[in-house]
Amino acid sequence: MQIQYKPPRGLLATLFQAEIVQGMTLTLKRLFSKPITRQYPDEKPDIRTGFRGQHALVRDPETGDTKCIGCMRCAMSCPSRCIRIRSHKDKAPGSRRIIDCYRIEALRCVYCGYCEEVCPVNAVVLTEVFEYSSYDRPSLYFTKEQLLGNWDRFVAQLQVPVNEYVNPFWRPRGLPEGDLPAGKRMPVSPEWSGEQQVVGKKWRQQQSHLNTTAQEGS
Amino acid sequence: MNILLMLVWIIILFCVVMLHVAYATYFERKIIGRMQVRMGPMRVGWYGLLQPIADGIKSFFKEDIVPDRADKPVFLMAPIICLVAMMASLAVLPFAKGWVLADIDIGLLFIFAMSGLASYGIVLAGWSSNSKYSFLGGLRSMAQVISYEVAMGLSLVGVMLMAGSLNLTEIVEAQGDSFLGMYLMPQCIGFFVFFVSMLAETNRVPFDLPEAETELVSGYSTEYSGMRYAMFFMAEYIGMMVMASIGTVCFLGGWNGPFPVPFFPPLWFVLKVYMFMFIFIWIRATLPRYRYDQLMGLGWKLLIPVALGNIVLTAFMKAIIG
Repeated sequence: MQIQYKPPRGLLATLFQAEIVQGMTLTLKRLFSKPITRQYPDEKPDIRTGFRGQHALVRDPETGDTKCIGCMRCAMSCPSRCIRIRSHKDKAPGSRRIIDCYRIEALRCVYCGYCEEVCPVNAVVLTEVFEYSSYDRPSLYFTKEQLLGNWDRFVAQLQVPVNEYVNPFWRPRGLPEGDLPAGKRMPVSPEWSGEQQVVGKKWRQQQSHLNTTAQEGS
Repeated sequence: MNILLMLVWIIILFCVVMLHVAYATYFERKIIGRMQVRMGPMRVGWYGLLQPIADGIKSFFKEDIVPDRADKPVFLMAPIICLVAMMASLAVLPFAKGWVLADIDIGLLFIFAMSGLASYGIVLAGWSSNSKYSFLGGLRSMAQVISYEVAMGLSLVGVMLMAGSLNLTEIVEAQGDSFLGMYLMPQCIGFFVFFVSMLAETNRVPFDLPEAETELVSGYSTEYSGMRYAMFFMAEYIGMMVMASIGTVCFLGGWNGPFPVPFFPPLWFVLKVYMFMFIFIWIRATLPRYRYDQLMGLGWKLLIPVALGNIVLTAFMKAIIG
């Protein structure tokens, strides 16, 4: 087999350096195109559903405490081992486990979202907040109180009411509803799950399609 | 009295050129940014317009580090040689009719001499830094400037033959003020050779081997910091402007334009120089760097024979016609 590195070109193309001219026209065309830069602090990125940001523990509206039942699934599934839970159970029969300590070391987290996917009661969540950098490490080693506070702050800036907030990670994709624990059987819009999930290029195409139809409608 | 007036003119020219150099960096960053679908500087001032001034202040107040084992006097002197040589060649440039500091009869030779001298600054900088990157950058620069100086000198011999003078003002006047009088058409081979060697002479992409970031950190200026680094930068940009001016004077008819501008005669000159600058930047945004042996091959095996052929052809035509 013969490998041809350069496509053959004629005398005229050699003389006038056709490839260089091609490249130069491309850069000249780009000179007049719109830059894709987002001027970040002035212009925030639009956050799509399923964004994995700052960690939080959902505050149960009934008890005012976390929903966590201390099943340790999140701590076990965590690839970076950044979740640490201590809990105890009262002697009285039928009582719930009480969480003594629930800590997430945000600096070690890889934001995979396994913890929220595996949680049977939807207690842990990666919120859409992403601006929480700090000058020291201890403040990013979240305690249970801090995680509940993160949730309160996230809820305060949320557009929809709390009980309508659903996260696509709260319902694992591709599983029939019967296989899910009761807490995970949440109504999720069809494009979040399984085959119909729309991400990446498909999402951008859909958005531009929606925009054009909206413009035609108006 | 005459000397005082001269000094005033020199200071005015210095300030104007420095301002142009500062904004040439802004122009370059902005154009390259837009060509790469970015925005370029946007933060300092309206659309980043104060960026060059911020850069200048920053480099002025930065620490001037001299490496421990460097050859100190040479190390300190090298950027000054570079800058002074480049600035000196500004003196003979005719910006408009009569707008020239030193109207000497060897103008073109003087500019060659000065750009040759500026490469001493680069070579000495590379040598005295006592660092392998700087040393390699200096060596490359030496070889590159020597080989392309030859090609560039030869490419302009055609222009000298046609104009019959080395005085830059006379070269412009010999071209007349019509579009057809420009030496671009009769000297198109010379222009091609001149253009390529101009890129090499100013160490610009695609011939920026002396300061190839990807392999030599920053070449000869690796060990420099603060104001001395800025001096190399200024020298490079003044070098670009001088070379663009030579191109304008020798091939594009200097200050002559389609119609004379009443209050600001150098307008056409400035526009043509900026066109050259834009092409410099445009090429930088497009082309990758040459390999070193290819660079030498191009210089010695293509450009010099072509330039020699051009001299013979021009002399032959001149003997037949005039």
